[in-house]
Amino acid sequence: MLFFSYFKDLVGREVTVELKNDLALSGTLHSVDQYLNIKLENTRVVDQDKYPHMLSVRNCFIRGSVVRYVQLPPEGVDVELLHDATRREARGG
Amino acid sequence: MMEPLEMIKDSLNKQIYIKLRNDRELTGKLNAFDQHLNMILENAEETHTSVELDEETYEQVYKQNKRSMPMVFIRGDGVILLSSHTDH
Amino acid sequence: MSGTGEKVSATTKTPADFLKSIRGRPVVVKLNSGVDYRGILACLDGYMNIAMEQTEEYVNGQLKNKYGDAFIRGNNVLYISTTKRTLGEGA
Repeated sequence: MLFFSYFKDLVGREVTVELKNDLALSGTLHSVDQYLNIKLENTRVVDQDKYPHMLSVRNCFIRGSVVRYVQLPPEGVDVELLHDATRREARGG
Repeated sequence: MMEPLEMIKDSLNKQIYIKLRNDRELTGKLNAFDQHLNMILENAEETHTSVELDEETYEQVYKQNKRSMPMVFIRGDGVILLSSHTDH
Repeated sequence: MSGTGEKVSATTKTPADFLKSIRGRPVVVKLNSGVDYRGILACLDGYMNIAMEQTEEYVNGQLKNKYGDAFIRGNNVLYISTTKRTLGEGA
């Protein structure tokens, strides 16, 4: 639940989602769910020349399992809060 | 030292090295992780190693592409290995 | 009952027993990718997540890297085996 909470706090911020197929999408984080599926608004493809078929896409739903990275705004993060939340996080088992 | 996941907590707020799938490696400061090995790294550097085939000599040329990411979330299913040592 | 030829070891173990018994021992961990990691097993969990010390990474039989400590995500693990080899003897 840790990252679900973290991403909920980031709704409205600008992020860049890099997919496992190397496509990178920038946009405003609209929503996230427990699977870390992501909905982006005002979507822009990072490398437009390479992926012109995405030019007309404005809003999109990204399945969490296809995400490789999410680039985050550095000032949107309370690092101490993340450390504490991680220490409290339940173990894998 | 009872559980591997507990041991990773020792690396919180410290530099770590991550080996990912697809010949990618990351170094950076570990700010958060969960049992899936989802992580947040601060001041991360990614090294992506790829092989190019020279068209004339047919030799394999290894290239390393590096890039910096000030703050990045990494999805855990791409993670292979984690180490607290960054010297190799 | 006439024997079927099967030997039942006096120390018959479940996989869970095996995993409990190998902590602190030198092991070789083979990943699905074929890469080998040799080192001292610190601990492991039910997902086969592994923590090791003095780890050496072998790719195609060649030593490629060394890690003072290493955590391996369990889904990548093909097997864990004990080994009598000491470190540095190569693959």
